[in-house]
Amino acid sequence: MAQAMRPQMMGARVSRTEDPRLLSGQARFLDDIQVPGMLEVAFVRSTHAAAKIVQMDLREVQQYPGVQAVLTYDDCPVQLWQREAYEVGQPVLAHHEVSYVGQPIAAIIADSRYVAEDAAELARVEYEDLPPVTDMRRAIEENPRRVHAHTPNVFFHKEYATPSVEQAFAQAPHHLRATFRTNRQTALSLEARGTAAMVDTATGRLTVYASTQSPHRLREDISGLLGIPTHQVRLIVPEVGGGFGMKANCYPEDIVVAKAALMCRKPVKWVSDRTESLLSDVHGRDDIHDVEVAFAEDGKIVALRDHLMADGGAYPAYPFSGAVGETSLASRVITGPYDIPHLATVIDCTYSNKMPLGAYRGVWGPVASFIQEGIVDRVARHLGMDPAQVRLRNIIQPHQFPYRNAAGMTYDEGSYQACLQQALELMDYEGFRKRQQELRQQERYVGLGISAFVEPTAMASSEAGSVGYESCTIQIDATGRVTAAFGLGPTGQGHETTMAQILADQLGVRFEDIIVLHGDTDSAPYGGGTGGSRSGPIGGGAALVAGRQMRERLVKYAASLLEAGEEDIELGDGKAWVAGVPERYISIRTIAETAYTNVTKIPEGLPIGLELTARYLPKSPRTFSNGTHIAIVEVDVSTGSVAVTGYGVVNDCGRLINPTIVEGQILGGVAQGIGAALLEALHYDESGQLVTTSLMDYLLPESTDMPRVMMRHLETPSDGEGGIKGMAEGSLIASPAAIANAVSDALAPFDAFVDTLPVTPEMILEMTRGELAR
Amino acid sequence: MAVEQRIGLTLWVNGKEHLLEASPRWSLADVLRHQIGLTGTHVGCEQGVCGACTVLLDGQPTRSCLMFAIQAQGHEITTVEGVTPTEGLSPLQQSFQSHHALQCGFCTPGILLTAEALLADNPTADEEEIRAALSGNLCRCTGYQFIVDAVLAAREQRRDA
Repeated sequence: MAQAMRPQMMGARVSRTEDPRLLSGQARFLDDIQVPGMLEVAFVRSTHAAAKIVQMDLREVQQYPGVQAVLTYDDCPVQLWQREAYEVGQPVLAHHEVSYVGQPIAAIIADSRYVAEDAAELARVEYEDLPPVTDMRRAIEENPRRVHAHTPNVFFHKEYATPSVEQAFAQAPHHLRATFRTNRQTALSLEARGTAAMVDTATGRLTVYASTQSPHRLREDISGLLGIPTHQVRLIVPEVGGGFGMKANCYPEDIVVAKAALMCRKPVKWVSDRTESLLSDVHGRDDIHDVEVAFAEDGKIVALRDHLMADGGAYPAYPFSGAVGETSLASRVITGPYDIPHLATVIDCTYSNKMPLGAYRGVWGPVASFIQEGIVDRVARHLGMDPAQVRLRNIIQPHQFPYRNAAGMTYDEGSYQACLQQALELMDYEGFRKRQQELRQQERYVGLGISAFVEPTAMASSEAGSVGYESCTIQIDATGRVTAAFGLGPTGQGHETTMAQILADQLGVRFEDIIVLHGDTDSAPYGGGTGGSRSGPIGGGAALVAGRQMRERLVKYAASLLEAGEEDIELGDGKAWVAGVPERYISIRTIAETAYTNVTKIPEGLPIGLELTARYLPKSPRTFSNGTHIAIVEVDVSTGSVAVTGYGVVNDCGRLINPTIVEGQILGGVAQGIGAALLEALHYDESGQLVTTSLMDYLLPESTDMPRVMMRHLETPSDGEGGIKGMAEGSLIASPAAIANAVSDALAPFDAFVDTLPVTPEMILEMTRGELAR
Repeated sequence: MAVEQRIGLTLWVNGKEHLLEASPRWSLADVLRHQIGLTGTHVGCEQGVCGACTVLLDGQPTRSCLMFAIQAQGHEITTVEGVTPTEGLSPLQQSFQSHHALQCGFCTPGILLTAEALLADNPTADEEEIRAALSGNLCRCTGYQFIVDAVLAAREQRRDA
C-alpha cells in the first residue's frame, strides 16, 4: 500500500482523452443522432404569462402536410411534482391554463423541424388573461393574486436565529442596512437542451437520448412518470455541450418526447432552439436580500440579519425548486469565511408567473458572496478602514478548524487566511492602492474588489444527486485493458481523463490502457450524476475505492504467480514485480489472461475474471473548498462602462487530480462571473413577457471582456478519499462579488455601492451623476 | 402545400463536390449537418451571435446558420472535418489539446475555423488581435484564456516551421 501513496498520475497535468473526438468534429451531441424515419418536434408555447385557455383549435395543425401527430395534455396527462414537498405540479403540457410565457401547450410531431414549426404557427389558442404576478415582494404579500388559487404564493418559509442575536444587535455600536438583488439569469449552455426517444430495435425497450447531467435519475423520472418499469427504459447521454446545473432537471419536454415516440411508434427528436432555451431552460438566481449588519469600532462584525427572498417562478422545477436551493443554502453559509457569531435569517420563496427557477452553477453562492463581501466593504468604508484589514480581522483563523458557523454548518479545514494573504500579494495590493490614488487625481476611476469564499462541495445529496454516493465498475479484460464505468453525467469537466488518472495509479496500468464510460444506464453503475461539485470528490472517491479493491486482487495474483509475499508486490507501468527485484515481474496482461482463461491458476478465494463494482459515500456530509478572488476594474464614468483589467485567484480545493482541468474550471467560472456581474439578465416586462429571448438581448462575456487571470493553488486535503474537495462552483460563487466590490471601490469617490447584479452602465451613470462625495 | 419543395444543389465542401436535393429555405448549417452528415458544425443559436456554426466560405469565417445552402453554391466551404488531417490532429488542434482550450467542446469547431482563418490572414496576430478575432465565438466553459494561449502557441509553431 505504501506504493499507492506515491501517485504518478493523480496531480499531473495530463491532456484530456476527450479532446481528439471533440476537436475533429467526430463527437456525437444530441442533435447529431439521426436514425431512419426519425420525426421532429416543435412545441406550441404560451405567449401569455397568466391566462385561462378558453379554446384551442389545432385542426389546421393536424391537417398540415408532414404532421404525424399533435399531443396535448389529454394525450400525455402527466404532472411534474413532488407531492411530499410541494402542492403544485406542472402539467407537461398546459391543462386549461398557462402560468408563464414559454410554457409548453402542445407538441407537434412532424417529418422535420421545419415542417413542425410551420404547423405550430397554425395553432389557434384563445386566452383569457389573468393579472400576471411578476413582482417578488408583492407576490410574497399575495399581490396582485395567488398564482395557484389553492395554495399561498410563499411555498417555502423558514426562520432561524442564534440565541443572542437581538442582544448582539442592541449592544453593537454600529449598524448598516442594505438590500442586495441578483437578477434572473440562465446557464446558457452553448448546446441547448434536447431529447430523442425511440424503441430499441433489439430489445423493444424505450431508449431515450437526453442531454442531461443525471442519467440514472432521469431514467427513473421517465419510468415513474410514464408508468414504464425502469428496466424497460434505457437512458443514453451523448456528448453534452455544457450544463452548469441547468441540465440536472427532468423537463416537460423530456416526458412529452418519450410519450410521442411510444404513441407514434417512431423515433422522435426535439432540440431546443435558442429562443426556447431562454424561455424554457430553468432560470437561476433572482434573489432579494434585506440585510442588516452590526459591528464594532475595530471592524469586527458581530451579527447579521437577512431576509432572503427568491422568485421560484410558476412551478417548482422538477424534482427540486431552485428558489429553495438559492435561499436555504445561502442562509446556512451567508457568513462565508468570516467568524460572525450571531445570525438571524428569514426565508420566503414565492411563486410568480415566470419560468420555474432551477440550478445554475453556484446556486446559492453568488448572492451569498455578494452580500457577505458587500457587507465587509460597507463596514470598512463606514469606519474609514482598509477593506483588506477588515477581512483579515474577521476571517476564520487556522486554529478555529473545524469551525462551526452561526448557522450550524461545520467547515472542515481550509486555508482561508493564507488564500486571502496570498491573493493580496499576487495582485500587489499596496502598489494598487498607490496607483489608484494617482489615477484618481487624473479623474480615472479604478477599483479593486476582494472576494474570499467558501464552497460547500461533495454534499451527501445535491441538486443533481439523487443519492449521496457514487459508483465505479472496473472490468479488466483478458488482455489487461481496463474499462471503468461511472454513474456520472459530465458536461465538459473531463471525467474520462481525471477518473483514468486516479485508476492508473491504483491499478498500475498505463493511463492509455484505461477507458472511462459514463452516461448509458446499461453500462453505468447506479449513481447520482454530476452537479453540486460532487464528481471529483465522490466520483473520484469511488474510483479510488474500486481501484484499491482491484489492486488488492492484482497483488494476490502477482504474489501467487511470482511465489512472493503480497506485501512485497509493487505495481506500475502494466506490470507487477517483487519489490527490489524488478526482473521478477509478471505483466498485468498475463494476470488478466490467467483470470479469464487459465482459471486453474487463480489464487484460492478469488473469483474468475477481473470485475468489480465499488461505491463510495463520504463519511462527512460535505467538504468546504475555499479561496480568494481579486478583481481590478476601470470604470468610465462618462459612459458607465466597466472594463475588468486584472484578476487573480488563489484557490484551495484539497488534493488536485489535474491542475490544468482545475484551472480551466476556475477560468470558466470567472468568465461566468463577469457575465453575472456586468452583462447577463433575463428581463420580464410588467405583463410577464420575457423580453430577452436572443443572444443579442441576453449578453454573454466574449473573449475581449476577459482579462488574463493569474491563478495559484493551495492544497488543504479533505478527510474524504484522496483528500479531494469539489471545486467547479467556487469560481462563480466568488467572482461576481469580486467584480461588484471592484466597481464599488472605483466609485468610492461618489460614495456609491453596487447593490444589484448585473450592474449596468445605466446604473453606474446614475451612481456617478451627482457631485463627488469627497 | 407541398411539404418541402426540393431543388438540385451543388456544394463544394472540404474539396469534394456534393450533389444534393434540398429545400431552398434550408440553412447551410442544416444541409451540412443533416444532408451531408458533417455534424462537426454545431448550431448554437440560429441568431448569428454565438459563432458555433462558423465554417469557412472561400477561406472567410462565415455563420452557416445565417446562410441558405443555395447561397453557398459556387463557393468553397470548409468545415472542421476539412481542417482535420486523415490521421491525428492538425497543429492547431494539437495546441488546443495541449493547452486545455476546450471543455464541453461544442463551440470548439467554430473557434478552430475562426482561428485558422486568422492565422492564415495575419500570421503575426498578437493577443489583442486574437481576442478580437475570437470575440464572435462564444464559449461558456473556458473563459477563453486557454483558447488564446493555444492560438498563440500555434502561431509560434507556424513561425518556426
